[in-house]
Amino acid sequence: MNRTPLQSILLYGTVIFAATIILFPIFWLFNTALSTTVELTQLPPSFWPEEAQWQIFTKVWNDRPIPLWLWNSTITAVGSVILSMTVSVLAGYSLSRFSPRGSHGMGLFILTAKMLPATLLVIPLFAIFRSIGLIGSLWTLIIAHSTLIVPFTTWMLKGYFDTIPRELEQAAMVDGCSPLGAMFRVIMPVSMPGLAATALYSFVLSWADYAYARTFLVNSQGNWTANMGITTMRGEYVTDWNEIAAAAVFVAIPIMVIYLFLERYLVGGLTAGAEK
Amino acid sequence: MAKISIENVHKDYGDFTALHPFSLEIQDGEFVVLVGPSGCGKSTMLKILAGLEPATGGQIRLDDRDVTDLAPGDRDIAMVFQNYALYPHLTVRQNIGFGLKMRKVSSNQIARKVEEAAKTLGVSHLLDRKPKALSGGQRQRVALGRAIVREPQAFLMDEPLSNLDAKLRVHMRAEISALHNRIGVTTVYVTHDQIEAMTMADRVVLMRDGVIQQIADPDTLFQKPVNLFAAGFIGSPGMNLLSAAFDGAMIEMFGKQVPVNIQENAQLGGVIAGLRPEHLELGDGPVTFQVRPSLVESLGSEKYVYFHDEAHHIVRSGDAEEENDKGLIARVSHTGHLSENENLTLSFDPANLYLFDAETERAL
Repeated sequence: MNRTPLQSILLYGTVIFAATIILFPIFWLFNTALSTTVELTQLPPSFWPEEAQWQIFTKVWNDRPIPLWLWNSTITAVGSVILSMTVSVLAGYSLSRFSPRGSHGMGLFILTAKMLPATLLVIPLFAIFRSIGLIGSLWTLIIAHSTLIVPFTTWMLKGYFDTIPRELEQAAMVDGCSPLGAMFRVIMPVSMPGLAATALYSFVLSWADYAYARTFLVNSQGNWTANMGITTMRGEYVTDWNEIAAAAVFVAIPIMVIYLFLERYLVGGLTAGAEK
Repeated sequence: MAKISIENVHKDYGDFTALHPFSLEIQDGEFVVLVGPSGCGKSTMLKILAGLEPATGGQIRLDDRDVTDLAPGDRDIAMVFQNYALYPHLTVRQNIGFGLKMRKVSSNQIARKVEEAAKTLGVSHLLDRKPKALSGGQRQRVALGRAIVREPQAFLMDEPLSNLDAKLRVHMRAEISALHNRIGVTTVYVTHDQIEAMTMADRVVLMRDGVIQQIADPDTLFQKPVNLFAAGFIGSPGMNLLSAAFDGAMIEMFGKQVPVNIQENAQLGGVIAGLRPEHLELGDGPVTFQVRPSLVESLGSEKYVYFHDEAHHIVRSGDAEEENDKGLIARVSHTGHLSENENLTLSFDPANLYLFDAETERAL
């Protein structure tokens, strides 16, 4: 399609405007990390550090238990991905392929769970975890995150499986697979983009959580996740915002890297339904 | 290769009956085509045969083996699907060999059999490609390869040519027939295209609304349709079907009294007369009449002359061809010019008339 110059200006202008809004917090994060404490308190604020304080990253990495927090976040996020994907792959596939009586209602009911705000579920979850003695363990977070992730990923995967022709499994079954065999040998490999997108979504959701970690892990310092840990860096009288920003950069980097590498799958997975 | 016996197989979805009791004996090596309009139950029957849908009742045997409740993979049948259903993540080689791998055949044997099947179907040069790098015709060949490589007892084909363009469809039709002649495996083929049914089948099973209308070889089906639906469905363009007054010995057609010999007790007053477009000829004949064409379509060596006759109500039947919507048709061999503004003389031989009971729609 040929665009007039005005259309081009409008188009690129809008894109640049949107990108600026989206990227500004990330820029501000780096700017804060690399500025001195004095620069941070200036008014008007400085948009570029006079001398970038790169050593802040090694300082934070060495002085604070950042590696431990990242490790805990990783275990929680990977655990949540494994648990929620196991459940939602089977549930999404069943909702897509089998239609026993009431399956539509059940599907909607699952989606309703997603409509409840996470904070609303904190209290009942806390009561449950306390009664079974799980408070303070990373398992609490893995399970709690999965309760948030599963409803959405189930629907995401159901939508993805709906786009895969049933004849593929039927052909596999005629070729000698059991229904479960057809799912694992044919449908799963074909669904890789959708699975990758869903797994990434689950990972990010778990990685980004603060409310649950704060509630369930506050007294278990050794199990603090990165988001939980960073908030404890705020001092009672003095807060080193550049240190907090540097720690936040460490937390953001894994997600950025994953997005960069999986972007192709992510877009493919999310738009698969629209291609048909 | 096997004989397939289907006895009283039926399928209900709640209160809706998709397939009424269906019985059919398919001989070893026979090519049977199930044909009918959409929703007639032909694909349902094929899926039940494959084991992909459970039957509500009835029994299916392959030779003497009762396979009614067996899983699809345990029936020793192969199926070709309308959309090919090739596994997109596997190469052609892996696609063809998939069924053998599932049956734990040794990799040496798989390699040899895949090569053989690929050679038979002329896809040897495509073995290392993924399905998305193939054309429609090539995909269909690979799908056929996946079916023949296992040397199954029977082939089931569900509208395998519907996704191909017209020219390729004709080509693949001939190829499938040749393949069947060469390897002689019992084949059940589902299509809504009566030309495929007529050109490929040893026997055609014509279905409508889940009920078998007629089982016959193509010539019999064409020449002796048992009811109005069979008469209207088979033939291209379809048979002209029109209401005609009947007085016990004669029917009135195009203003002429035509003697007919009806054995059964047809209801006096109403029969439906059927006349194939190719049985109407230009010029004088045993029954001659004049028409004013509403449209003349030239196909080169022959012409379709469309006309109307107000004395007759045109009866629509089954899934009639598009041409039949335009009026009565005469298919005449004529290379000259025929005008829509001039009267034409047409004739037919009463021996070529088909007569149907207007109420029961059965052939008289």
